[in-house]
Amino acid sequence: MKLKMASIFKLMSIVLLSMLIACSNDSSNADENSNSDENSNDNQDQSEDVKITFFNTSAEVNEVFENLFDKYEELNPNVTVELIPTPIGGAQIEKFQSLLASGTPATIANLDAGAILQYKDKFLDLESEKEKYEALTTPGTIDRVLLDGKYLGIPWTSQGYGLLYNKRVIEEATGESFDPSVTRTRDDLAALFEEIDASGTAPVVIHGADWSLGSHYTGLGYALQSRDVEENLAFVEELKNGNVVLSDNPQFNGLMDTFDLLKKYNLRKDDPLVSDYNLDSTAFAKGEAAFYFMGDWTWAVIGQLEGRDEEFGVIPVPISNNPEDYGNSQIAFSEPKLFAIDDTESTEAQQQAAKELIEWMLTSEEGQTAIITEMGLNMPYNDLKAESPNVISNSVSEYVQRGDVISISVMNYFQPDWWSKVGASMQKYLSDNIEREELYNEFEDYWESTK
Amino acid sequence: MRQNKKLKNIGLFLLFGGPTLFIFSAVIVIPFIFGLYLTFTNWSVATGDSTFVGLSNYAEVFTDKDFLTSFWFTIKYVFACLVFANFFAFFIALALTSKIKGKGLLRTGFFTPNLIGGIVLGYLWQILFSRVMPYLGDQYNWGIFEKSWLGDPDKAFWALVVASVWQLVGYLVIIYMAGFASVPKDVLEAASIDGANYFQGLRKIIIPLSIPSIIICFFLTITRAFLAYDINLSLTDGGPYNSTEMVSYHIVQKAFLSNDFGAGQAEAIVLFLAVALIAITQTYILKKREVEA
Repeated sequence: MKLKMASIFKLMSIVLLSMLIACSNDSSNADENSNSDENSNDNQDQSEDVKITFFNTSAEVNEVFENLFDKYEELNPNVTVELIPTPIGGAQIEKFQSLLASGTPATIANLDAGAILQYKDKFLDLESEKEKYEALTTPGTIDRVLLDGKYLGIPWTSQGYGLLYNKRVIEEATGESFDPSVTRTRDDLAALFEEIDASGTAPVVIHGADWSLGSHYTGLGYALQSRDVEENLAFVEELKNGNVVLSDNPQFNGLMDTFDLLKKYNLRKDDPLVSDYNLDSTAFAKGEAAFYFMGDWTWAVIGQLEGRDEEFGVIPVPISNNPEDYGNSQIAFSEPKLFAIDDTESTEAQQQAAKELIEWMLTSEEGQTAIITEMGLNMPYNDLKAESPNVISNSVSEYVQRGDVISISVMNYFQPDWWSKVGASMQKYLSDNIEREELYNEFEDYWESTK
Repeated sequence: MRQNKKLKNIGLFLLFGGPTLFIFSAVIVIPFIFGLYLTFTNWSVATGDSTFVGLSNYAEVFTDKDFLTSFWFTIKYVFACLVFANFFAFFIALALTSKIKGKGLLRTGFFTPNLIGGIVLGYLWQILFSRVMPYLGDQYNWGIFEKSWLGDPDKAFWALVVASVWQLVGYLVIIYMAGFASVPKDVLEAASIDGANYFQGLRKIIIPLSIPSIIICFFLTITRAFLAYDINLSLTDGGPYNSTEMVSYHIVQKAFLSNDFGAGQAEAIVLFLAVALIAITQTYILKKREVEA
C-alpha cells in the first residue's frame, strides 16, 4: 500500500482546518434557531395567536418548565410557548450569545442576574410592573434584584447559603439537642468543631470547587463591608484603584480566619481539591461530616438520596467573636436567576404575552407547585400555595422572615470571570500552596487588572 | 461545441462537488474568514459594538500571560501524548499483526475507547481518578494513588495524558496495522534468510517501510492533542486552580466567559498558525525518510 504523499497532505490540511474551526467557531452558528425567526414577523398579522420562546439556564428543571408550559397552553390556546433548553453545566451563555448575535433572541430569558446586567440594553425595562411585584414579593426582594437601579428581571427563585448542618450528627457528638441560634461567633464554632472532632466525625466538609470558594465564600467579603450595595461597590472600586489593603480589612481577615478553622477540620483535608459535588453533598447528608459550606440548592442531590439523615438547617458563617457583627447572625441570600424579557426583536404582543406567562407562573397554584414542590426551590413571594419538601430552604426562610440576610447583589456587578480567577487563588490557599499574604496579593492583583 | 463541453464539465463538477463545496464554505471557509475579521475588531454581543482596532488584539495575545502559560502547558501535553500514544500504538499494532490469538477481539477492545466521546470519556476517567484510585490506594497502601490525581497540578497533567493516550491508541493501532500489513513479506523473508534477527528486521525493514503510517499517526496525534478541548473540560475543567488550562480551553474561556471575542479569536488564529507550522514541518521531515521496498 503506497500512499500518495500529495493527497495525504491535502487530506491532512482539511482535517486540521476543520478541527481548528470546530474549536474556534464562536459566533456564526446562526443555524440553530431559524425557527424562532418566524415569531418576530408572523405574529403581527394574526394578533390572536402569539408564539413566545423561553430560554432556560436552569437546565436541571427543563422538564418541569416544559410541563408547566403545556398547562399554560391549555389554559390559553392562543399562546404557544417554546422552551429553548440548555445543557446542565454546559455552554449556556454561549447559546444565549449566539441567539442574540443571530437576531433571534428568546422572548423570555431565565438568566443569572449578572448576565442580565451585562446585556442590560437588550432587555425590557419592567418599571411598569415594579409596583405590582413589590406587593407580591417578600419585603426587600425587588430592591435586591435591581440592576443599575433598573427593574430588568423578575425574581422567581431565591437561594440562601452558609454553613449547613446535619442535626443528628451534631447531637450525637455533643449529647445534647442542638440550637442553631447559639453559634454566633468563631469561638463558638471552634468549640463545637472540637467536640464533634473528638467524637470521631469530621466537623465540616469544604467543597473545593472554584465557584464555591471563589464566588460564595470570598463573595461574602465584599458583601459584608456594608449593608448597602452602593457602599460595597465603592469598596470594590477602591480595590480596583489599589487603595485597599486586604490584610488590614477586618471583614476579609475575619472571613479567612474562619476559613482556616474550616480548613483545619475539613473532611477532605488530605485531598481538598477533589471537589466532586455529588460526593460531598452525599457525605454531608449521610453524616460523614456535621457541617457543609453550601446552600439550599444542594437539596436537589440530598433530597433523592436513600438512607440519608432527615434534619438539616443552616447557620451563618461567623466572621468574628462579636455576635453583633454584621454577618454573624445573617446568612447570604439572593435571587440568583431572573426572568427577563427581550427588547430587541420581540413584538409588543409577545412582550405582553411574556409578562402574562411570568405572572401566571409566579402566582398561580400550578406555577408555585412546579417551582416549590417539583423543583424544590424557594420563592421570594407572599402567600405561597405550595409546600416545600426542602428542609434547608425552610431553614433559610426563617432567616428571611426575620430579615437576617446578607444581600450579595454586589456580585452581580463583577466581571463574569471573577469567580474562576479568585476561586483558583482560593484553591491554592486551601491546598496549602500559598500563604494568606500571597492570597491577598492575588486578589488585589486580580481587581487591579480589571480596572 | 467546445464551449458546450466546458459548460457540461462545470455542470458535472457542480453536480458532484457542489454540495460538498457548499457545506465546506458554509461551515469552514466563511466562519474562518469571519473569524479573521473578528480579530481586527473589539466585537462583543453585549454592546453590539465592532470598532476596527487594527492589530491590537494580536498584541494582546503575546502579552496575555495566561495564554502563554496554557500554550506551554499544551506543548508539554502534546509531546507526552505523541511519545506515549505512538509508542503503545506501535507495539500493540505489532503484536496484533503477529500470530496472536483473539486478534479481532483485542483490536475491537483497543479501538472502543475511540468510539466514546471525549466528554463521556473525561467524566469516566474523572471518577476513576478521584474515586476509584484513591479508594484502591487506601486499601492497598499504594502511595501514588492515595490522593486524587486531579488535585495536584503535576499529576493532573499526567491524568490528562493517560486519558488522552488511552483514547488515541486505538485509532493509531488501526493505522499502524494497515501500515505493517503493507510491508512485503518477501523482503522480511529475505532478511531472515540472510541471518537478520527479528529486531534487525523491525528496525531496518518494518519501520522504514511504515513511515507513511508513522507520518499520519504523528500528524493525527499532534493536531488532536493541540486542539484538545472536550477532555480538558470534562476531566479537569482547567483545575486545580487553572493549572491545566490548555490553549483551546483558554480561548473558549477568553471569548465566552471574559467576553473578549476579538482577543480570543486572535489567539485561535495564532494557535492555528502554530499547529499548521508544526504539523507541516513534522510531515516534511518524516517524508524525507520515506523509502520504497
